Formats: sequence, structure tokens, C-alpha cells
Amino acid sequence: MSENFAAGGPLSGVRVLEITKVWAGPYAGKMLAHLGAEVIKVESATNLDEMRAYGGVDINSAPYFVSINQEINSVQVNMKTDEGLDLVRQMIAKSDIVIDNIRPGAMERSSLGYEDLVKIKPDIIQCSIKMWGNAGPLGYQTGYAPCFAALSGLYNLVGHRGETPKGMNMRHGDSTAGACAALACIAALHHRESTGEGQFIDLSAVETLSSLVGDELFAWSVTGEIPVANENFHPEIAPHGAYPCAGVDWISIAAADENQWQALCEVLGGSLATDERFVTLSQRIANHLALDEAIAALTREKDAFALGEALRAAGVPAFKAMNSIDLCGDDFTWSREGYRMVSDHKNGARPVIGPAWRIRPDGPEVTRGAPLLGEHNEYVYRELLGLSENRYDELVERKVID
Amino acid sequence: MTAMAGLTIVEIAERPAGEYAGKLLADLGANVIKVEAPNGSPTRKMGPFKDEESALFAYLNTNKKSVVLDLADKADRRTLDRLLARARGLIDDHDEAWATAHSLSETAVRDAHPHLAHLAITPFGQGAPPDRQNALPITITSASGWAYHSPSETAHAKPPLKGPGRFFADYEAAIDGAMCLAASLWRQRQTGEGQFIDLSQYETLLNRIDCVLDRMVAGDVEPDMERTAYDMGGPATSFACRDGHVYLFMTTKAHWNGLLEIMGNPDWAGEFREDWLEFDCTRENVVKFRDYFRAWIAEQEKVPITEAAQKAGVAMVPVNTAADLPQNAQFIDRGFFQRAQHPHFGEVVYPLAPYLLSKTPVRIASPAPALDADAEELEREA
Repeated sequence: MSENFAAGGPLSGVRVLEITKVWAGPYAGKMLAHLGAEVIKVESATNLDEMRAYGGVDINSAPYFVSINQEINSVQVNMKTDEGLDLVRQMIAKSDIVIDNIRPGAMERSSLGYEDLVKIKPDIIQCSIKMWGNAGPLGYQTGYAPCFAALSGLYNLVGHRGETPKGMNMRHGDSTAGACAALACIAALHHRESTGEGQFIDLSAVETLSSLVGDELFAWSVTGEIPVANENFHPEIAPHGAYPCAGVDWISIAAADENQWQALCEVLGGSLATDERFVTLSQRIANHLALDEAIAALTREKDAFALGEALRAAGVPAFKAMNSIDLCGDDFTWSREGYRMVSDHKNGARPVIGPAWRIRPDGPEVTRGAPLLGEHNEYVYRELLGLSENRYDELVERKVID
Repeated sequence: MTAMAGLTIVEIAERPAGEYAGKLLADLGANVIKVEAPNGSPTRKMGPFKDEESALFAYLNTNKKSVVLDLADKADRRTLDRLLARARGLIDDHDEAWATAHSLSETAVRDAHPHLAHLAITPFGQGAPPDRQNALPITITSASGWAYHSPSETAHAKPPLKGPGRFFADYEAAIDGAMCLAASLWRQRQTGEGQFIDLSQYETLLNRIDCVLDRMVAGDVEPDMERTAYDMGGPATSFACRDGHVYLFMTTKAHWNGLLEIMGNPDWAGEFREDWLEFDCTRENVVKFRDYFRAWIAEQEKVPITEAAQKAGVAMVPVNTAADLPQNAQFIDRGFFQRAQHPHFGEVVYPLAPYLLSKTPVRIASPAPALDADAEELEREA
């Protein structure tokens, strides 16, 4: 591996080739890159990642693309040509892991299915990310994040009381699927380390979301109670919910035990502490709708930030329901490098949402912004594959490298 | 064969966040030893219950071993050190004050066991102010923005939502935690060296919305107090049909033409440009389309119409209820639900992992352990 790309981190020395688009696949690549792997994204001007195109902007500084693909290396190749596919095979021969999330069957049609890949590199780890997984009776179907949520059961399990459930925000799903794919790839590295054997990983984005309520699906088989949407209800904690504050703000408040309840009553005042409906936890759970109303009456005029601080100071789990303006300006997040600056081809530097981890010692660096299209062509073709300058120039001229 | 066979990880976590990270790795084959306080993990006392046994604990602790240690007791604390000396990884999810008080802080573990990959999952990460340590999943989801901006198209009068189930912020972070610990264990196999992993649950939730929130942080688009700030603005939503609901996602001319095909090219289609989804996707057009479509889809059945739509290149799917899942042909084909016998519950059904590993499939080989079930075996080994 080139020293130029050794960014430290636990996966330093692992090379990943990604043939991915939009969000779930690139997010898997990003997870591995942000753990120190060298991740090479196979791209083509004739078949762009939509994220480089959304909004009709410069493909080299498209906001959607640069907000995901930090520490990723870009190589161009026209995969619609046999010569291009041959170059991809040469890249695979130098890789540990190949990830794709393109249409069902597309890898196989390009002779890049697992059976083909093991002939190129016997211990390859291949990870396929699809809505429904790579095979099976519904494997041909495709969709976007909210479709994953609808199929997974999650859409039907998140909603307001008395209304048809509408799920989480429609953006939820791709990134979680990508993270699960990255976890599976690393597990497969361990198996390869132990046995010398690679394998095929078939990830279902739908099942990824179903697994977020795995405990409820399991409990159903034990108790017979089918999971249903329940707004913010918690069967063992009351209060547990979101309460209106001044303006259009809301605050989440939960009181899991007697101490937290007493502290909550003290901060909110009113007659909560003496209300006979709310004396014990089991009463508060039984009367949770009345409790929610009583608390809402006490929070409605209050500033959500200040109330959150006062409640937390008193030991009560509480937080303003942060909106996107709050989040962008949040000092805590900036100070902890939850947002951090990376290099940017257009503006010199750009803030991105950093990885959720800090690893010490020898943690991964996340300092390079998303790549220009083909930014790492020379590295991949000349250094990694060892093509001569003449051969490389000729492939560029004939738009095999494109 | 299992992927992570032979890797011993000690889990001192007491919340679903750490226990789910341990489960993900145990189900992948790691040898996870759960260290429990004398009265058991707190999740043993979290419902739902059957015959006083927790179904939650039974789910979160599959394929693990259990040993009871009182970490405030010096002899037991030395036993933990002996376990750690032989283990490769450590999973914790307590706050920093607890870790320091039990000589299990980052530096204490590094000094005593420099070879260990040590994962600490906390609500807001190491060094967060003390008032942020005491957070439940709903607190973290609320802080992350996901609550305020869920569901899509929500009015200001409706409460922000905690997300699916009770543990959204725990499970999302546990996936990252398991991933980081597995990565650090891989490095340990190359170098023999340990690392400390500080994982913030809040930052996991921020990262999951990277290409929406970061465009606001970087100033590409304006952040917004509207509840809809994370939405996409097109016609995508769910619609009632004869036997439930469908979800329709549509952004391109190809989607539109496919939809018109399965609808039999209705006359009202002429009121829209062929490329309206790309170039004329106004609020008025979205409302108008939804009115027409709602009337038509109300008469359809969710499975046949969505299969027809898929074949026409339209991303329309049925909205499944939980009860639909075990009967779904694709879930059955992939074997997502594993039937097994549980020592207390009898026949149970475990949802498995979303990844099929061709050489090392995930299986529930052993149910969650009884308290201290493996004390003798571990004592012999120690």
C-alpha cells in the first residue's frame, strides 16, 4: 500500500474496492475508511454516482457527495467496456474487500459475481448490499430508504397516537445498512485471518431495519404481544415523552425512578408532586396520558434549552428536541470534533460530520475531503496496477479510463 | 464455523447499548463473557417478562457466558483482571465516573492490560459534561435531531418521536461499537497492541444523517426550524389501499411512466409534464398527484399492485406490519427468523442478523445464560 494513503487506524493495511452509488454503499465504504482502510471507489463519467449530480452542480463539489465520501479514493473506469472490466478485475486482485450496492444482478451480468471474484482472488471478501438481499423470491425488487422502512415493519412501528404510522424521517435507513455491512466485512476479515478463507456477504437493508426492533420481535414469540406503534410510550418508565415548550420547541423528559420523579416535580413545580394519580411509578404508567397532559401544562411556556439544562442539573434525563439550526450551531458538538474540518478542493476546507469514535493510540485520521472524479487514477493505475505511462495514456485517450 | 471464533471479549456493560454490541459480536462467534453484579444485569429486570424471566435479557445476551463478580470487592476485582489478562476485548457502557471508581478508565485499563481492545459506549462520549451522562435513548434521540424531524411531513403541533422501540439510540450506537471493536481486534492480531475506543451514541446518530445535516453545517443549504427540514419534498409517502398501506417513492420520469403504465394511463396524467418529478415538482403538483393517486390506490391490494409496480420499475412496496414479517416469502427464504428451544420460554423465534455470511452464518447456538452459569468453567480456566 502506498504511504500516501496510510491514514493510520485499526484497519490500516486493508484495501477495499467499492462499486457503489447514492448512500448505503458509500456509507459502508466511509465507515471502513474512517477506521483506516484504503477505500477505492470505482467511478465513471458515463455512469456517475447520482450524489455527484443532484442539484445540477459541479460533479467535483456536489454537496451530497462531499458530505459522505471523506477519505475515499476515486478511480475512473468505464465498466461498460471489456477492457474496463478487465481493469476492475486487476483492482480486485489487489483488494481485500469488494463492496457493491448496484442493481440486483448487475454485478453478475458484468461477471463480477462471487464465483467470478474467487477466480481472480481466492480469499476475496465480497459484500453485496441490496434492499432485499442478493437472492430470494423478492430479491429483484428495488427501492430507497423509506421503502426499506416500509418493508421492515419499522414504518408501521413509529407514529403518533391515534394516527396511521408514518415512520422515522424518510432519510433513515441507508446509513444504518451501510454500517451493518461494514461490521460484517470486518467479521469476515477475522475469519480470513483465522482460516485463510474469504466469503460472500449478502446484506438486506430491510432486515437491517427490522433488527432495530429485534427485541420486540423476539418478545412477541415469548409473550404473544405483537409490536405496534406507541408514540413515545415506555412500558416501564413514566413520564417518557416529548413535551411542548415556548414557540415551536419541544423537550424530551423521562423519569426512570423515584429520585428522578421527585427532582422533576421540584423543577417543574405545580401540583405534580401531590397529585394522587401520580404517586407511584405504576400509577404514573397507568395514568400516563393524564401525566403527559399535566407535564405539558407546566412546560408549555418554558424555554426548551433552559428547562433541559435545569432538569439535567437536577438529575432528570431531558433534552431539547434539537432542530437543524440548533444542531448546526451546537458548541458542544464543535468542541468535541463531532463536526470537523477536512480538505476541500473548491473552498480549501469544509466541515463534515466526523466519525462517532475516537481511537487511541494510532487512531484513524479523517482529514481528506471527498475526491475529485478520478483523483486517484494515477495511484491506482500506475502504482497499484503497475501500468506503463504509455499504456495508461492510451487507456485515457480511448476513454476506457473515463 | 463462525467468523470471530476464538476471540474472547469480556463484557461489563449494563445497558442495552453495550449488551447489544456484545450480542452482535457473540452472534458472529466471539466468546463473550458477561460479567454481572451479584444481583444480575439490570436488563434482567427490564420487561417484558414471562414467568418472571426477562425476554429483553434473553434477546440481548444470546451466545454469551455469564459470571458474577462484585467489582467493588477486591478479590472479585482481581478475578476480573485475570479474565482481562486472557481476553482480547472489553466492552463497557458505564459513565466515566463509574469506570474511574472501578479502576476501569481508559488509562487504568491501558496500564494494566495494554493488549486489550477496550470499547466504551457512552451517551455523549468521554469528557462530556456530567449532566449529559445520565441519558436514556429518548434523550439522545432528542438531542440528535432525529426526534424533531420525525416523521417526515410532521406539523409543529405533534410531538417529536423516540423512534422504533425503546432502544433506537442504543442499537444504532452498538452497531458502530461492535464495528470499531472488531476493527481494533483485527489490528491487535497484526500488532499485539490494544486500543481505547471512545464511542458517542449522540455522534452515531448525527453521522447517520450525514448527507442531510452536513449540507446544512457546511452552508450548502439553510438549516431550518421546520419539522420537515430533513424531508425530500416530492410525492413519496404512504397511501391507504384495500388491505393496508403501500409506500410509493418516485423521483424520475422513468418512475412516472412506469406508474402510469400500471394505472392504465389515466386521463388526468395529461395535467402533468412527463418530467414533472425532475423539473416541475411543485407543492401544488404533489398535492394534485396525491389526490388522484389516493383514489386509485384505495381500490388496489398491496401485494399484487406493488409486485406489478416493481416489474414496471416503480419503487412501490407494501407497508408491512410486524405480523407480516414471519410470513413474508423473502424473510423465510433468507432464514431471518430462527426457531429454537429456550430453557424457560419453550419454543421461541430469534430474529437474526441482516447479513448472510456464506462461510460463517450467524446462528443462535446457545440462549442467554442463567446468572453465573459459567463460573465454574471460567474459574478452572483462570
